[in-house]
Amino acid sequence: MFELVRGLAIVVAIFLAGNWLHAHCVPIPGGVLGLLLFYGSMLTGVLKLRWVERAARLLLHHMVLLFVPLTVGLMDMGGVVSRQALAILASLLVSFLAVLLTTGLLARWLLHPQPESPAGKAEAAQ
Amino acid sequence: MNASAVIAHPVFSVGMTVACYAGALELHRRWRWMPPIVVACIPIVALLVLVREPYATYNRGGNFLTWWLGPATVALAVPMYRNGLALRSSLPRLALIVFIAAAVGMLTAGGTAWLLGAPRDVILSAVPKSVTTPIAIEVCRQLGGIPQLTIAMVILAGVLGATFGPFLLGLIGVWEDRAVGAALGSASHGIGTASLVRRSEMQSTVSSWAMAACGVFTSLLGALLSFFIR
Repeated sequence: MFELVRGLAIVVAIFLAGNWLHAHCVPIPGGVLGLLLFYGSMLTGVLKLRWVERAARLLLHHMVLLFVPLTVGLMDMGGVVSRQALAILASLLVSFLAVLLTTGLLARWLLHPQPESPAGKAEAAQ
Repeated sequence: MNASAVIAHPVFSVGMTVACYAGALELHRRWRWMPPIVVACIPIVALLVLVREPYATYNRGGNFLTWWLGPATVALAVPMYRNGLALRSSLPRLALIVFIAAAVGMLTAGGTAWLLGAPRDVILSAVPKSVTTPIAIEVCRQLGGIPQLTIAMVILAGVLGATFGPFLLGLIGVWEDRAVGAALGSASHGIGTASLVRRSEMQSTVSSWAMAACGVFTSLLGALLSFFIR
């Protein structure tokens, strides 16, 4: 329990620091600034992974709970969604395929196949 | 006490949301095809419609939960750090690939909506649709989109990837573990990553790194974009 509370306190403190920076000078969202601060402080050893591991796992594991209230808000969006259904679905599909396929192809080209993967297939196709 | 006062009370709305979420998880355990996010929302929407209360009444308490998306974003650093250690040698090239993926995702999502004549706020809501929900919402707000719409698109992008991702990649001959992981993490964030866990450890490692990195790059590009459209 102590471990969890300590972890949550650290994560919240970093988030608040990120928000403060966002409000004062940096145009990147506070949460993402916090992520970068957090990543940096683990790389440099200022924060230890084991201090925050349980709290991070809890937050990530139950993230779906955290966006329930916003999703319920779709009930007010019925108008926009039905009027723009085509644009929304087309943009979703086109962009999804574009990202998936360009990333897959780029990664196959730039990252060398590893021994445990079916390397033959990847190389033959290159 | 009337219905409005009860629903507006944070303890009630947070409690009800947690209960609905727990119930949805339980149903998901029995019937895997039931998505918890959709199932959890149904009783809440039903109650609001039944007692004729607007969304805003419920969201006074709901905001307490939404706030935690910020710390959840920060927590993404943990899988990113842990998986980054395992991928050290290929990290620079992976970062380049995911950066391009983020740019392609934003351009094609916004571009398609724009070409089809969608209004400005719908276009801007589509832009961050490839990245994990908490980051997508922040980027959407910063650009002036509609967060609720972004969430719906983010979830659909995740489900598409989890369902068809590996199959579509197979069609163009992409099988290699790290390529599949990078593609799913960039296109379908957490939902895509979760679907890879049972397939291969390397795929899910690369995928969870790519998902967090794609979120970071998208918010950097989003900040840049918000300067130009202001």
